[in-house]
Amino acid sequence: MKNEYVGKSVPRIEGIEKVTGRAVYSVDVELPGMVYGAVLRSPFPHARIVEIDLSEAKNSRGVKAVVTGKDFPFNFGGMIRDQPFLSMDRVRYVGDPVVAVAANSEAEAQEALGKIRVRYEELPAIFDPREALAEGAPLIHENLEKYGRSGPYQSVPGTNVCTLRTYSLGDVEAGFAGSDELFEDEFYVHAVAHTPMETHAAVAQYNPTENHYTIWSATDGPYRRAKELADALGISLNQVRFISTYSGGGFGGKGAMVAEVIAVALARFSKGRPVKVVYTREEELTASQTRHAAYMKLKTGVKRDGSFTARKAEIIWDNGAYASKGPDVAVRGGLTIFGPYRIPNLELLSRLVYTNKEPAGAYRGYGTTQVAWACEIQMDIIAQRLKMNPLEIRLKNGYRENDTYINGQIMHAVGLGETLERASREIGWGRPHSRPQDNRFRGKGLAAMIKGTATPTESSCFIKVNPDGSITLLSSTVEIGAGEKTVLAQIAAETIGVPLDSISIPNPDTATTPFDTGVTSSRTTYHMGNAVRLAGQEVRKKILELAGEILKTQPSRLSLARAKILEEGVGERLTLKELLLKKFGGRGGTLLAEGRFSPAGSSLLAASEGREAMSSIFWMFATHAVEVEVDAQTGAVKVLKIAAAHDVGKAINPLGCEQQIEGSVIMGLSNALFEEFKMENGRILNDTLADYKVATIKDLPEIVPIIVEIDQPGGPFGAKGIGEPAAACTAPAIANAIFDAVGIWIKDLPITPEKVLAALDRKKSS
Amino acid sequence: MTNLYYEYPESLSVMKRLKPFAYFEPATLAEASKILIDQGSRAYLLAGGTDLLVRMKRGEIDLSALVNLKGIDGMNRIELDAETGLQIGALTTISSLEQSSLVRSAYPVLAEAAGILGSPPIRNLATLGGNIGRASPASDLAPALMVLMTRLLIDGPEGKKEFPLESIFSRPGKTTLNPGEVITSFFVPKMVVHSGAAYVRLGRRGGMDCALVGVAVLLNLSAKSGDVAEARIALASVAPVPIRARKAEAELLSGPLTEERIQKAATAAALESMPISDMRASASYRKEMVKVSTRRAIEQARTLAGEGNNK
Amino acid sequence: MKFLIDLTVNDEAYQLEVEPQTTLLELLRNQLHLTGTKEGCGLGDCGACIVLVEGKPVNSCLMLAVDAKGREVVTIEALETNGQLHPLQQSFLEKGAVQCGFCTPAMILSAKSLLDKSPRAGEMEIKEALSGVLCRCGSYKKIIAAVLAAGGEKGERNEE
Repeated sequence: MKNEYVGKSVPRIEGIEKVTGRAVYSVDVELPGMVYGAVLRSPFPHARIVEIDLSEAKNSRGVKAVVTGKDFPFNFGGMIRDQPFLSMDRVRYVGDPVVAVAANSEAEAQEALGKIRVRYEELPAIFDPREALAEGAPLIHENLEKYGRSGPYQSVPGTNVCTLRTYSLGDVEAGFAGSDELFEDEFYVHAVAHTPMETHAAVAQYNPTENHYTIWSATDGPYRRAKELADALGISLNQVRFISTYSGGGFGGKGAMVAEVIAVALARFSKGRPVKVVYTREEELTASQTRHAAYMKLKTGVKRDGSFTARKAEIIWDNGAYASKGPDVAVRGGLTIFGPYRIPNLELLSRLVYTNKEPAGAYRGYGTTQVAWACEIQMDIIAQRLKMNPLEIRLKNGYRENDTYINGQIMHAVGLGETLERASREIGWGRPHSRPQDNRFRGKGLAAMIKGTATPTESSCFIKVNPDGSITLLSSTVEIGAGEKTVLAQIAAETIGVPLDSISIPNPDTATTPFDTGVTSSRTTYHMGNAVRLAGQEVRKKILELAGEILKTQPSRLSLARAKILEEGVGERLTLKELLLKKFGGRGGTLLAEGRFSPAGSSLLAASEGREAMSSIFWMFATHAVEVEVDAQTGAVKVLKIAAAHDVGKAINPLGCEQQIEGSVIMGLSNALFEEFKMENGRILNDTLADYKVATIKDLPEIVPIIVEIDQPGGPFGAKGIGEPAAACTAPAIANAIFDAVGIWIKDLPITPEKVLAALDRKKSS
Repeated sequence: MTNLYYEYPESLSVMKRLKPFAYFEPATLAEASKILIDQGSRAYLLAGGTDLLVRMKRGEIDLSALVNLKGIDGMNRIELDAETGLQIGALTTISSLEQSSLVRSAYPVLAEAAGILGSPPIRNLATLGGNIGRASPASDLAPALMVLMTRLLIDGPEGKKEFPLESIFSRPGKTTLNPGEVITSFFVPKMVVHSGAAYVRLGRRGGMDCALVGVAVLLNLSAKSGDVAEARIALASVAPVPIRARKAEAELLSGPLTEERIQKAATAAALESMPISDMRASASYRKEMVKVSTRRAIEQARTLAGEGNNK
Repeated sequence: MKFLIDLTVNDEAYQLEVEPQTTLLELLRNQLHLTGTKEGCGLGDCGACIVLVEGKPVNSCLMLAVDAKGREVVTIEALETNGQLHPLQQSFLEKGAVQCGFCTPAMILSAKSLLDKSPRAGEMEIKEALSGVLCRCGSYKKIIAAVLAAGGEKGERNEE
């Protein structure tokens, strides 16, 4: 039977709100009596707070509240509660919040900040995580073991190691001994800023009688944030309510509380007035979240025929000052450094290390962008020495259907091979390059990747059929901009048998929409999609049973299509609207169904004993093939074309999949070529978008998105995920293409013209 | 371990909202000059505001009074005299400059430079007078104006004055204007036949960028021999002010435009440049790029000059 | 020190009291509650605050409200008329040019200004006209397709 909506490129259902400017983002929330917050931040990377003089600030015009860590002495953190709402005894990075002020206007709040005096005692600061690991390095978190935790994250007390993860399989030394060639390479991936167009913002309101907080924000996981807040303050979940707005971009950065904690601290002291905190672009760049920088060492043993014998990987993740989601990134991201390839003997040492810099957190890819840089460039280094085609070596070693993952889980819907073949074909792999002109050399490169999804997680939804036959889907899935609502509406419409435009999806509200783990880990289509499918099936069943009752016939003879109830052999009997009118009369009434989905306990997750936690309910694969042009006189690298192939299981909305592929390709390109934090003594110098450069429309290369569809067992209509994978492949594909063009390896990011030129000079002189 | 008593410095303050200031809308230049002098050194002129408001928001200037020039008539016209040249009012927006058919036909390099500056919405606000008055060493317009031998006209308490554009630049961010003086217009003399001018800017990304290195070259080739009759090379972003690379020019003059001479000129220009290392690029990279960009600009200017007319 | 200014916003005449340090963006969002125009950076580096002043796109975060007196300002809210979407709004929807939507008003207004002048604008012109708006979702390719689709007379485009 042909699908009506699933598989169709329907326009965004929230699109009209967005193109008319009516969509309310967190920065747009306006409430009666609202006051505005501003933050005084540390100018030092590491210091003790000696004294804070607020006397003048408290009397500044329009000021309603002035709050310090002493007034609100709590720590929060999604995994390790190591981050204060407002600094207490010390500051740990330039930008660490010290005092928050709420006033009648932003100008007045800002004015009050200028009247605060803080005395600091500077402490030695560390900016390089390798130095932070050294014996005797100053401790950034002296009481690491005392922090509350939400999971078994292994810290090393008495050090700056926030999280440690080791893993081994087989015997790497034997593997190296049995290899024909050994490769040892070091790689570095830099920190980048998420740079959403909407900065972090939140409004918080405190109800003193009930000790209850309401927060409006664009956070990607309202339930998780509610729990983080409740745990931090020692209150119960029903004392916290998160109301979601539209999000002007998250990319992982809104997966931790940022503006929310300031708004909450101020709200507590603002006598019930809502407090709005909107981060400036400077604060967004320097005091929110970043991607982890990472130092990686890869030692790989290879046989002459190109197969792998062993890999030993060492990763040092630069966490910045606070854990955020780092502990998980270090674990799950670290494990994917083995790439989508069969390697029998493995060893991993992954350490998440504190430094006195802006906290790093979840960033699109969750560690895979960093490890893919290392894994995929070394792949080409290996191919070059063995005189193998980079495409061939990947096809040879790449995972196939029914291969086991490194923990013993059997993998299904392995689209890697098809992504490799189609991307390389599209880029014209193997065809001779055009001749260099004016010192401009062309080259092509490939990179592949693997990523799983956090497993198990949980999604629930309600489907409510309204008295007029319209449908409301109640789900805590936030529209972070990736088309979540539309996909869910398509699944709902398809499953129930109603027109797409009869479905409305209000924004999440933890007071009314049921639990969801959040928009993260590329999980929404699969998990919430399944929940919606289950609820949809339940609602359809209820409708047909009701119809059977009213039409006095067997429900098995009835079907629902386009909100019309059809009887086998008869045709249309009545519309859904008519059915409800018959049932409820003029009094009105609703039908309700619940859908709940979690992959916990699925047989698909079976793995070697004790290693089941590493299984993923689905695995995503991707390949990018890139053509670049290197200007050998300036070192500038221009990306001409990117063929980006992704296996998505089933494209519920092909246009939506293209949006995600094209979008993250640009992000990857931008990260690799233009973005970089310029630091001096822990201070980010380029704190504006003039100098923290992201790709403009004029930097757009030709992008060919390629959707590979291999049915994902257990996925709604066979779908899996798409949001993150494309972020990982672009940078290493560019690096590999540069080698093809001019014979130099760039192993640390970003790829700058200066680095390229210097490498070309070194090559010339050697 | 130092013990510091730390006052919240302006430079770290988060200037989201502008602080209040005294605001004036003079109807004449004389009025504007008077206000500037009366208000003192913390009074600033408002033209397009695209640079001024940024500096105010970043806490880089302490402004007490703003004098809006846009109420004064007649400062945003572009007038061409076929015999002498082009008069451009100081309040002419960069986009008017870019889109003016007069400028495009008579001085294409100027339209080109204007079209690279910032972005379209910025260009709709920013003005020529504002850009030059800002005295940024990285001005995209200065090199093109300089190779065109542009003259600056100002007015003030000491009356009207006129001088070559480059003498307005004193040091980064500072002009040679006296208190009360205002840039009123620019005069670009007519380009000689068989001239070609090009502007090559090296940035980092495709749009909304600033010059890491900017090179403008004007060549005038003899109709008979093809020898270089005039050569002017101006550099941006590689010295405290935009400069003419006169030694580089000398390498090209009075001789044929050979590969060897172009190479020598490019090398000389690099030697004449004095770039600094900053967060955008290192000095050594900039120097090397002066060489590369000068060469490319010379080649482009040659092509344009060889096309037989000013275009 | 407050000033009384007359201006037209979305075809409606207003007389408003502003302080000299108020920007046009602040006036639009805070006084007129037209929140479709966004503040992405406050420094003219991202374009999210773009509105049309006399048909030309400007960064409203860098324009003082007093400088808008006597002018005609158009924000995204003006484009829908009587429930009918402007062709650009329609094409942005159909071509998948909207992801998070934060840059969408600025992109649409910049495109409108271009197409009003040059209905057959080709890809190069479109890129140039929209170069002042950043899109982190990376929708550039589909945004260009949407502007091409909304332009006049399908098929014929200005030469690159």
